[in-house]
Amino acid sequence: MSAPDDAYDDEALAAEYVLHLLDADARRAFEDRLRDDRALQDMVYRWEGELAPLSEEIAPAAPPPALKSKVMEAVGPSRERSPLQSIWSLVLGGAVAAGLLGFLMFGDVLRGPADLTPEFEARLSAGDGSVILVAQVIPATHEIVVERVAGGPPPGRVHELWLIAEGATAPVSLGVLQDEGATRIRVPDDIAPGVRTGTVAISDEPPGGSPTGAPTGSVIATATFVDI
Amino acid sequence: MTSITDIEAMIARVALRDRAAFAALYDATSAKLFGVCLRVLNNRSEAEDTLQEVYLRIWAKADTYAVTGHSPMTWLITVARNLAIDRLRKRKPETAPPGDMDELPASAPGPEAVAMERSERARIAACLEELDEGKADAVRSVYLDGLTYQDLATRHDVPLNTMRTWLRRSLIKLRECLTR
Repeated sequence: MSAPDDAYDDEALAAEYVLHLLDADARRAFEDRLRDDRALQDMVYRWEGELAPLSEEIAPAAPPPALKSKVMEAVGPSRERSPLQSIWSLVLGGAVAAGLLGFLMFGDVLRGPADLTPEFEARLSAGDGSVILVAQVIPATHEIVVERVAGGPPPGRVHELWLIAEGATAPVSLGVLQDEGATRIRVPDDIAPGVRTGTVAISDEPPGGSPTGAPTGSVIATATFVDI
Repeated sequence: MTSITDIEAMIARVALRDRAAFAALYDATSAKLFGVCLRVLNNRSEAEDTLQEVYLRIWAKADTYAVTGHSPMTWLITVARNLAIDRLRKRKPETAPPGDMDELPASAPGPEAVAMERSERARIAACLEELDEGKADAVRSVYLDGLTYQDLATRHDVPLNTMRTWLRRSLIKLRECLTR
């Protein structure tokens, strides 16, 4: 079969996937391929984007008011507590797992000279591309190096880096970034193990960083890490 | 009306576990997403359960929104539609669709019509017009109502495989047009 035919087969398959026309087995097989196939992911996103306008014709319908409280309850308690408390709950909640994971991930620190190669990275890009940062993690030293590729904070403001560990209810500040070039940040040992599976974010803050311990300005970009 | 940029900013804050932003996102978008669930499921209580699932998914997955490159409404609608159809497919095949609703919501864009790009809308509409009417309708009802190949084959009274070939060909035609 020639290459263009393959491409068309995948295009049709991607459309069938987006439309939920594949039977359970075919759907699972497609999802297995999708996980590591960027070209296939792009086809899926393209179909999703192109077909979504069809839903314009669907009239909005107000859900029953009680549903909102159910949804809000399900996402956990409100964050009206001091930043210190939220950090503590994060630390204590993750302490056991952190200890174990920390040993697994960073145990080689104990065994020999530190390996200073970054092992995973996240690309933080503002929706319009005006700000682009690349964060690389060096597990051996618990460091994140954030390289500013494009853009900076508006005059009189700074960019602050946050980590939302998997399952955490609140972000933890990792520090304020330099306006240009690279910023090297040492992640506290107790939260370091949560970096790989967590989400990082950049927010716009007053000089010196957020005064409240939680992001106060707009969120410029969020990203998760991938292995390098 | 909430602008696309507002919704985008809310999603970004939801990724940071900001409950206030999540509540605002719910207020701005739940009517549209409930409409999507109702359209697919045609059953109020199932649509309510699904809508709840939809917002929990949004809460958990807000950080993956950016990778898709979607406009915010596209992403939200895609999440809602996917979960609604998952639910639809899990219904026991022998039970008829519950359909407890007297009538479907009228087919008109609501006033707040959390807008899609006008050009996007025009493009899919124009490309569907290039297909035969029956095929364009089939694509539309598969997207909007979550029909299966079997549903379509029954509706058009053709064998399942014929239906599959027929629709795949239409999808490829559609891709060619959308790419032009």
